Amino acid sequence: MKRKLLFALLAGWMGAVSLTAANPGFGTRRYSIAVMGEYSYNNTWGHHGNLDVQALLPFNPHFEMEARQQFSTANVYTTALQFRPKFELPVGEMFIETDVYCRLVARNRMSDLTAALEVGYRMDYVSVTLGLFTRVMNDWDRDWHSNESFVAEPFNLLYRVEVFCRPQDNRWNLSFLFSNVDDYQMERMWQPLFGIGAYVDVADHWRINMGAQCKPTGMFHLDATFYGATARAGFTYRF
Amino acid sequence: MAVGLTACSDESTLDLAGMFSPQGETVNTRFEQSMAHNDSVGEIHLDMGADTYTIYACSDSHVTRKSHRNLDYFMAQYLAAPDPKLAIHFGDLIDAQKNYPCADSVLHLGGVAVNDEALSGSSPRLFITPGNHDIYFKQWPVYRSFFGTSAYWFDTRNGSRKLDLFICLDSAEGSLGTLQTKWLKDLLETKSKEGYRHIIVFTHTHLWKLDGSQGHTSNYAMEETYELTSLLGQYHVDFVWSGHQHARQSVFFKGVNYLVLDATKDKEQGQSYMTVEMGESLIYHYHNYPKE
Repeated sequence: MKRKLLFALLAGWMGAVSLTAANPGFGTRRYSIAVMGEYSYNNTWGHHGNLDVQALLPFNPHFEMEARQQFSTANVYTTALQFRPKFELPVGEMFIETDVYCRLVARNRMSDLTAALEVGYRMDYVSVTLGLFTRVMNDWDRDWHSNESFVAEPFNLLYRVEVFCRPQDNRWNLSFLFSNVDDYQMERMWQPLFGIGAYVDVADHWRINMGAQCKPTGMFHLDATFYGATARAGFTYRF
Repeated sequence: MAVGLTACSDESTLDLAGMFSPQGETVNTRFEQSMAHNDSVGEIHLDMGADTYTIYACSDSHVTRKSHRNLDYFMAQYLAAPDPKLAIHFGDLIDAQKNYPCADSVLHLGGVAVNDEALSGSSPRLFITPGNHDIYFKQWPVYRSFFGTSAYWFDTRNGSRKLDLFICLDSAEGSLGTLQTKWLKDLLETKSKEGYRHIIVFTHTHLWKLDGSQGHTSNYAMEETYELTSLLGQYHVDFVWSGHQHARQSVFFKGVNYLVLDATKDKEQGQSYMTVEMGESLIYHYHNYPKE
């Protein structure tokens, strides 16, 4: 019963944290750098901590780029790059994203490379992204003299729906997100993430970020159970 | 039999509450109950009386009151085959709530390790791993009453000579859970040094999503995919057999052959089962079910 209650509470934190921290909301984007610490647990890696460093580079009103790096005590290291052309519409903004994530799973001596192409649309209170991504997993110790090869999963659906409590250029915000991606991982389409994100501008240059995420497993087995959770906090400096 | 079901009926196939919260025992609880069962039964060593033997394997039969023709055919083929032999079902034996009595052709064998008779030398034997359809709607107690355990190992022998090691894993909810993962690691650590000819793992949920053939079936979380493939490669597991996606698939990664079987479900496109000639090499044969 206790486990069920915990699971229900965590699942209730709707919304993965992918856009939580370094995303300052459209309309007010400035060059920024964010640093965050994470406590994380999952059934496979157990308790572990992560250090995230993120940079947002809005080159002009129509093109921006994000670069992210995560160092995990689980001996996993992830680099993410995101390119985002965007177009103002009479209502809201449309954007096209190209994401490349390179995850070095040193603990298992393998790498997981994912690349995505997405189309998104956001208004003051909601942001929706839909796209496809490709995954290639490679063994660092591959036997080149056998028929062993990398594993490619060419077509995966990517989705991200985020709902905000305040307009996205507000001084504070709270968001709920349902997605199969976050800043450092792309999960298969039937493996959704739920989470919550928040930020508050404490000064012109400084923003405090917080977020939490829950990853159940077996949802589409119709037999869901808790798999992992992450809580994070940090700050953003905007130039 | 701890649970008596007198009539086969078709109930709901959509356990919506199960999408958001565990409705029955979770994998760690099932694992603990399985270990208690295993301890009471003891180790399973099958003397095949020869170095070569045949395995009949099928998956995803999804039997219902009106639909169990292919499973009955599979069992008839298996029972008619010459010894030595054994059969393995990779899960999703039933389709919906209250369908267990519809799988009579399997259940009358007694399943794995339910009693000594099922394990005696010449008895037909069927080993099974639970699929998500077998345990949702709080059906684990029913599954358990028929098959006793969801995580176990057994080996085949020729007299005193060890042949092959088989490990059954419970992945019915898309994760092995913490206890079973540790058990698997400890088991492989011990058994990989005992000189088995082949080490074979079978479970329901497949590890890869190579294409769109799997419909709305889910896999393991990525972290668990990394860890499992690494563990299986590290201890030189030869083969991982699974089902779940209802489409045949073959992957070779980190020295391990991953094979996913077609479904045995009636009226499914590409229904087939597999026979494997177990020897120094494994020779696979796929058999289509006869058309209705």
